[in-house]
Amino acid sequence: MKSLNIPTFLPRLKVLNREQALAIHQAALEILEKTGFKMEHPDAHQMLVDAGGKVTNDGRLTLPAYLVEEALKTTPKQIALYDQKGNKTMPLVDGNPFYGTGSDATFTLDLETGQRRRAVLKDVANFARLVDNLENISFAMSMANPDDVPVEDIYVYVFAEMIKNINKPIVFIADSGRDIAKIYEIACLVAGGEEEFQKKPFMLNYSEAISPLRFPQNVMEKLIFCARKKIPICLPSGSNAGGGAPITIAGAMALGIAENLVGLAVHQLTNKGAPFLFGPNVSTLDMKSTVVSYGCPEWSLSQAALADMRDEMYGLPTWAYAGASDAKVMDAQAGAEAMFSIITAMLSRSNLIHDVGFLEYGNTSSLEMVTMANELVAMSRFFTEGIPVNEGTLALDVIERVATGGPGSIFLTDDHTFDYFREAQFLPQLLDRSRYDSWKEAGAMDLYTVCNTEAKRILSEHQVEPKTDEVLNEVDRILKGR
Amino acid sequence: MGEYKALNGAVLKGDINTATAEMQKAIDADKNVQDIIDNGLIAAMDEVGERFSKGLLFVPQMLRAAKTMQECMKLIEPLLQKGDVTPKGKVLIGTVRGDLHDIGKNLVSMMMESAGFMITDLGVDVPPEKFVQKAQEVEPDIVAMSALLSTTMPAMPQTIEALGKAGLRAKVKVMIGGAPVTENYAHEIRADAYASDAGSAVSKAKKLLGIS
Ligand code: B12
Repeated sequence: MKSLNIPTFLPRLKVLNREQALAIHQAALEILEKTGFKMEHPDAHQMLVDAGGKVTNDGRLTLPAYLVEEALKTTPKQIALYDQKGNKTMPLVDGNPFYGTGSDATFTLDLETGQRRRAVLKDVANFARLVDNLENISFAMSMANPDDVPVEDIYVYVFAEMIKNINKPIVFIADSGRDIAKIYEIACLVAGGEEEFQKKPFMLNYSEAISPLRFPQNVMEKLIFCARKKIPICLPSGSNAGGGAPITIAGAMALGIAENLVGLAVHQLTNKGAPFLFGPNVSTLDMKSTVVSYGCPEWSLSQAALADMRDEMYGLPTWAYAGASDAKVMDAQAGAEAMFSIITAMLSRSNLIHDVGFLEYGNTSSLEMVTMANELVAMSRFFTEGIPVNEGTLALDVIERVATGGPGSIFLTDDHTFDYFREAQFLPQLLDRSRYDSWKEAGAMDLYTVCNTEAKRILSEHQVEPKTDEVLNEVDRILKGR
Repeated sequence: MGEYKALNGAVLKGDINTATAEMQKAIDADKNVQDIIDNGLIAAMDEVGERFSKGLLFVPQMLRAAKTMQECMKLIEPLLQKGDVTPKGKVLIGTVRGDLHDIGKNLVSMMMESAGFMITDLGVDVPPEKFVQKAQEVEPDIVAMSALLSTTMPAMPQTIEALGKAGLRAKVKVMIGGAPVTENYAHEIRADAYASDAGSAVSKAKKLLGIS
């Protein structure tokens, strides 16, 4: 057999053809040219007018397509997120997928009691520490909207808590231009100065415009701040099908993309070349319960479509979600919905994928869910890495050896098995494949219990490399407002 | 119901054309106006509510039925004397200060409206003073507040306090809702009722005012 040098096909999900992608983009441009939007930040408003935007009779703004296309051109096609020690751990480019947790859950499933309770600051610490340890969870969000910190500075407290408990990149929330400045001050401390931070940014801001087509003052403050400081930012709006947007995914995407493009225009007019992560949140409003679903196929489909649009035209890294569920406890539904969104996000090559570990449509967080998702991401990665086909993997010599080896000759004992089994197999750490008797003997645990035990183990054993006392003291000073 | 079977059915289906035609027939036949409303329209809407709560209808179907009823009401309005039809109650609703979420609040408003309440909607990011000022103006039976952020929930007790200071607390019932809000929280801040979704918001509101 001649020697083989075949590139491995990486399975890739495609859900839109080029015409569909172009049509959705055109629709987004048409929304901006004809319907227009409400820009409530006076400077941003002026900036857009100066650049060619038109004010309508009722005070809305419309944008000519060229203004938007211009912004798309000046936006960097990749965002490199670093960890807090300066390693480039998240190159958001092409089809690299990275998973992380979500932000403001009101409740959490208590690790000890299993009960849903109001989240507190300690939960932020626990989730951060867990993520710091989990191999396949690349970044952290707060996972909690804690009950026990001053409300005005809630996002500063939450950020400081994450800084103390994780060294991976952070995706953070802020309320306005005021608290984001404090958060930035903390980030610069950690990085060792503003210049250092900008060279190796380790955080990304998640702000949201309001569907349909409304851009509040405080949201724009954050956007402009991030553009100036080159803090990577995303600006998805709540263009959920049937909620903030039309019930049909195409229209909801067009609206969400239009809203993103407005943000992008302001962002690039403020500072050309500043990093912007593209993408709306297009989930769906459930028509029985009226919840915005965090486990539906619609959201996965819309972000797969966005990844196709990235590949067809935008070229910008995308914002996405996965690993969450509408289930109230970590049950079979939670597992099914988590896996569905995780594998499809990876197959469609979304880039920054958040909300891992949410239950109850984003109202409740679960350490067990995150722990499980870590394994599901690994499983998905195995699948999306495809099947390497070469002499070594075709193993014709091995087949011949075993087949002709006479009685007792089996693949199991062949060196080829020993050499290859680690890469050739997916080796689960939590999913149970034990034989019935041993499973029973080990306590007959279901996956929830296994994940609960594992999360507890990690939280009791894992040490997060601490920040220096100097940094920690300064952080406390900023928190106390002095 | 029997008499208005076709009208009831059309409202239930959200078939605006048939419903308005049936409505016109009833009006032309000189039926009692209140009777048409009660047995022709509201009876159908009660059935809609019933089916929705059993999971047999979806939200858009329910809203379409409500719209159908409103279209029918338009035909009858010119015939109504002032005071002929009394609303079930007046509701002043808004999303509290600092909070911009409004989809849930809008849905609650719509459902209440179609159940016969008169709604004044203050929109989003409504400060306590504005609730008070408008309450003085429209004299609502219920003040309803929505909050989707735990950071804006404290604006609820603040609004209740402001209503108290203005001497309005005893005159209105306070209802609250929104994803982070709980029954317990409602007790804590001495609101009169909490509802977890738009459907139960309607039944809680009726209960508060002692109507069926
Ligand atoms: C859509 C959405 C948005 C949209 C809102 C658009 C709009 N026009 O409303 C946008 C994108 C603007 C948005 C912004 C933000 N959001 Co938001 N948002 C959501 C989301 C996904 C759905 C909310 C929704 O519309 N649901 C559908 C409606 C129909 O349901 P509902 O609102 O729950 O209402 C029902 C009941 O609650 C009840 N009800 C509601 N009000 C009332 C009132 C009364 C009187 C009664 C009786 C009943 C009642 O009946 C309703 C109908 O059945 C939720 C997550 C979720 N799945 O719930 C997050 C969520 C509410 N948002 C959240 C956050 C953190 C934010 C931001 C801070 C994010 C950011 N990065 O900036 C901003 C804040 C903006 C602001 N200042 O308000 C958090 C809140 C966490 C917390 N505990 O505080 C959530 C839970 C998501 C999360 N887990 O992080 N959001």
